[in-house]
Amino acid sequence: MKLEYNGSEQVPLSKPAVWEFINDPQKVASCLPDVQQVTVHDPKNFDALVSIGLGPVRGKFKFKITLEPQEGGNRMNVRISGGGFGSVVDLLAGADLKDNGDNTTTLDWSGAATMRGPIATVGGRVLDSQAQKLIAGTFANVKTRMAGQ
Amino acid sequence: MTDIAQGSPEIVTEQPAKFAMGKSMKRKEDPRFLQGKGNYIDDINLKGQLYMALVHSPYPHANIRGIDSSEAMKIPGAVAVVTSKELNAYNVGWLPTFHGLDKQMVLADGKVLYQYQEVAAVYAETREAAYDMIELVEVDYEPLEVVNNPFKAMKDDVLLRPDREAKTNHIYNWNVGDQGATDAALATSDHVVKQHVVFPRVHAAPLEPCGCIAEFDVMGRLQFYVTSQAPHVYRTALFLVLGIPEDKIRVISPDLGGGFGNKVPVYPGYVCAIAGALVLQRPVKWIETRTENLTSSFARDYHMDIEIGATKEGKLTALKVNTVADHGAFDAAADPSKYPAGMFGIVSGSYDFPVAYANLDAYFTNKQPGGVAYRCSFRVTEASYLIERAMDIVADELKMDPTELRRKNFIQKEQFPYKSPLNFTYDSGDYEHTMDVALEKIGYKQLLEEQAEKRARGELMGIGISTFTEVTGAGPSKHFDILGIKMFDGAEIRIHPSGSGIIRTGTKSQGQGHETTWAQIVAEELGLDPQNFLVEEGDTDTAPYGLGTYASRSTPVAGGALALAARKIREKARKIAAHVLEVSEHDLEWKDYAFHVMGAPGKTITMKEVAFAAYTNPGDNEPGLEATLYYDPPNMVFPHGTYVAVVDVDRDTGETKVRRFLAVDDAGTIINPMIVEGQIHGGLTEGFAIAFMQEIAYDEAGNNLATNFTDYLIPTSLESPHWETAATCTPSPHHPIGAKSVGESPNVGSPAAFVNAVIDALSPLGVRHIDMPLTREKVWAAIRTAENAVAAD
Amino acid sequence: MNEVNVSMKINGKTVTGSVESRVLLAHFIREQGGLTGTHVGCDSSSCGVCTVLLDGYTPVKSCTMYAVMADGHEITTVESLAVGGKLHPMQQAFWDQHGLQCGYCTPGMMLSSIALLKQNPNPTEHEIREGLSGNLCRCTGYNNIVKAVQQAAQVMNQPELAAAADD
Repeated sequence: MKLEYNGSEQVPLSKPAVWEFINDPQKVASCLPDVQQVTVHDPKNFDALVSIGLGPVRGKFKFKITLEPQEGGNRMNVRISGGGFGSVVDLLAGADLKDNGDNTTTLDWSGAATMRGPIATVGGRVLDSQAQKLIAGTFANVKTRMAGQ
Repeated sequence: MTDIAQGSPEIVTEQPAKFAMGKSMKRKEDPRFLQGKGNYIDDINLKGQLYMALVHSPYPHANIRGIDSSEAMKIPGAVAVVTSKELNAYNVGWLPTFHGLDKQMVLADGKVLYQYQEVAAVYAETREAAYDMIELVEVDYEPLEVVNNPFKAMKDDVLLRPDREAKTNHIYNWNVGDQGATDAALATSDHVVKQHVVFPRVHAAPLEPCGCIAEFDVMGRLQFYVTSQAPHVYRTALFLVLGIPEDKIRVISPDLGGGFGNKVPVYPGYVCAIAGALVLQRPVKWIETRTENLTSSFARDYHMDIEIGATKEGKLTALKVNTVADHGAFDAAADPSKYPAGMFGIVSGSYDFPVAYANLDAYFTNKQPGGVAYRCSFRVTEASYLIERAMDIVADELKMDPTELRRKNFIQKEQFPYKSPLNFTYDSGDYEHTMDVALEKIGYKQLLEEQAEKRARGELMGIGISTFTEVTGAGPSKHFDILGIKMFDGAEIRIHPSGSGIIRTGTKSQGQGHETTWAQIVAEELGLDPQNFLVEEGDTDTAPYGLGTYASRSTPVAGGALALAARKIREKARKIAAHVLEVSEHDLEWKDYAFHVMGAPGKTITMKEVAFAAYTNPGDNEPGLEATLYYDPPNMVFPHGTYVAVVDVDRDTGETKVRRFLAVDDAGTIINPMIVEGQIHGGLTEGFAIAFMQEIAYDEAGNNLATNFTDYLIPTSLESPHWETAATCTPSPHHPIGAKSVGESPNVGSPAAFVNAVIDALSPLGVRHIDMPLTREKVWAAIRTAENAVAAD
Repeated sequence: MNEVNVSMKINGKTVTGSVESRVLLAHFIREQGGLTGTHVGCDSSSCGVCTVLLDGYTPVKSCTMYAVMADGHEITTVESLAVGGKLHPMQQAFWDQHGLQCGYCTPGMMLSSIALLKQNPNPTEHEIREGLSGNLCRCTGYNNIVKAVQQAAQVMNQPELAAAADD
């Protein structure tokens, strides 16, 4: 099953500061809700272990995450793929950065996730709201963490 | 024989009970099941056995870039991980499919083609360790575009099977009948009725999942315990796959907790267990999880377009069917090799069509492979459902009562043997009589009156009829083979000095009660006590070769072999009887279950006495009393029936209540009415499930949405209707005891009765057809759509 | 995985074993207890072939209960029903009424039926169907199971019937 999400966050930081934050794997990973462990391979590739609970499907998912900063510093794409207990999630997300001119930045984000395995079938009934929570939570965390810097 | 312990079935039959035949003898196999002493696959454990578990793909279509088992091997108790690389090294990476038109991967070889496909096998000291291991086998997938239906497959934009010579997703075309004459007849018919009908993908789902234990014993001989409906076919398949000669393979199929077709295929897990046992030199046990069971095979998935021509008066003129078949990732349908679409040619049903034509194209998709039956003889259910559903639509268009349309077009009993336009020779039947018995028993006239009153009040009551004909008992060797082996069956009977005996066949009961009915057949032929026969099946070391139990073939084929083997014994017994009575064997007459000297009343000898003499006083005759016989049936058998469903549909919720259901079956000669009744009850419940709740559905991304019993529903006692049954009797003219078959009839015949009843209930709203399963959501939506359409007018 | 000592009475006999805490009661009964009449069918608590009775007459699905949860408790399985070669009235009724075919659901079905009759000695057909709706059967279509429970209810309510059946 394929799910699509989008949203917008207002971050009280300048665009270069936001750009720096979202290019740091350690910082980005720390924004994933319920993240257990992060292993950074290089500035663009890292693994994250995340606790997932979707209806009867519960356990730890291991995600491979690749940051794909676009030229010009206006857009960041993120590829996330991984899974656990026979299920996989492939997520392609992107965020456009807009300088609001008042030392704040607008983060317009969108993402599409494809779920496969028991998570899509057994968890299907609650998946949409849970995935929404996960993705929105990540971007909300980005905002909160940056605001707290 | 009157002291035989009998059950008390409610089924009404036309056939008088004889000595052992036709009696509701209580089942001889029951005491062990009642006491929890059945011997099912998971009850068998071998010393030193390892447990195997399988890694399955979450992707429906992907390249495999790598498999890393290093973490899995760190689990305490881990023994080995096997992938296609290791299997290919032993040349067992691929399996031939049963009808020989394709081969299938044992473990994903370079790519996965459907979700839950087997990717790796792990072996461990304990079950728990094995399941820990599969979590840690890391597979690197590169997802590919998914083809989740045959209509997308036929575009050939994505090639699913580059391993095959033909670079297309099209597997085969099959057709039968006269296309030109059919088109011409349709062009000149007063009415042509067309309908698209889908028979969804379903699964047999026996309560006991599949499983096996493989061991190479100290003599290097494979001892293979496995849930198999066809042990001899497995042995031959293993010989073909592994190259081990059959004397070095013993296949033992223990008690089976249901089968319904699911235990016909040779599954990849079996090959992995054997490979593991061979390489690791330890017994290996593998028991499916329910998810593995539901995702490993399937039945049906036919998308059918039917056209029927008729005169103004309701006489049928022509039948044309075009089908698109979804076979999944491999063409693993277990059909006889000359019949890739099975017995689909039975689609002309019980009706005398002057001309007909059926065409079918099969395609690969990213779905589980299979195409085995689900309590049905090789695609008979698809065909029967289609024609019976379509007959109601024709009746509706012609504004005729569906029973009248059927009556007008039935093949008449004097037309048998009847050559159908789709190339079957129907052996016998009396369709009108069976329908009359059913209409009388259900009170059809009164139901129509009640329905008229209810309709006047806006209530939705429906009456559904199905007057199906099946073709079962494959089959005559000139037409039918599996892996090249002709579809005969063997029977062996050995009579002991006491007049008791042992019966062995190449079939394998999964609950049908062969231990009882086989004894009844032999007892009837020999006048011996059926209680005193041991029936043994399922061990290839002892049973004569047979093609197994599926497609309603046990009684038509093995049952015939048994009767003829018993008659062979009787002929030998005649010689011994003549010796004992000091007469010529030509002076002896077999009458009333004993040999009588003709013209000398009172000079008789029973078979029990002859049996003793065979070992104590055989004279110049060969001692002993036993026979082995292989039976090659001259034709298929054609059981038929009339089923009537009465339903009430709740207009507000879409909920259907099956108020009554009557099945009148004609299975020819009945061996045991109690067992026949039980088979009908069970088959009707499976038909009910298919009509109302079961579907192996896939979403757009290729996810299998029915992977356990919370998504793939099995009817409980609460929603299952109370079944009513009766039987007419038109014996098969060519079968040694006149028997046909019954186990699958209720599942073949009932879906159309249920759906016809619901559509009949909704017909005042203008609803013409709904594809199964008729869930309350679908019915509710159909009612709302129809009401909105009326409101918009 | 750490192992725990588990001890329970199965059919009146104490069975003790050191098992991983995640071992299911069904597997403990089958493997430590050596009693294979308790089956496993669906892994999701749907089918009821694993049904056993806990502390008297409470039916539980032993595939969704850990062995440790039954520590110190009493379990009744199908193997205890026939005494001295004589079938329990429920077993006799399933046999008489052809209430089984493949036999896989039968042990759980009979135990649930016995628990039902303990609660409601004279159930109607609907009450029987409702009481057994947690136990699936693929073979019989339930008609004959209902008849079997009705026969057993009659016999169990009139012990003299059961005694007469002995003769």
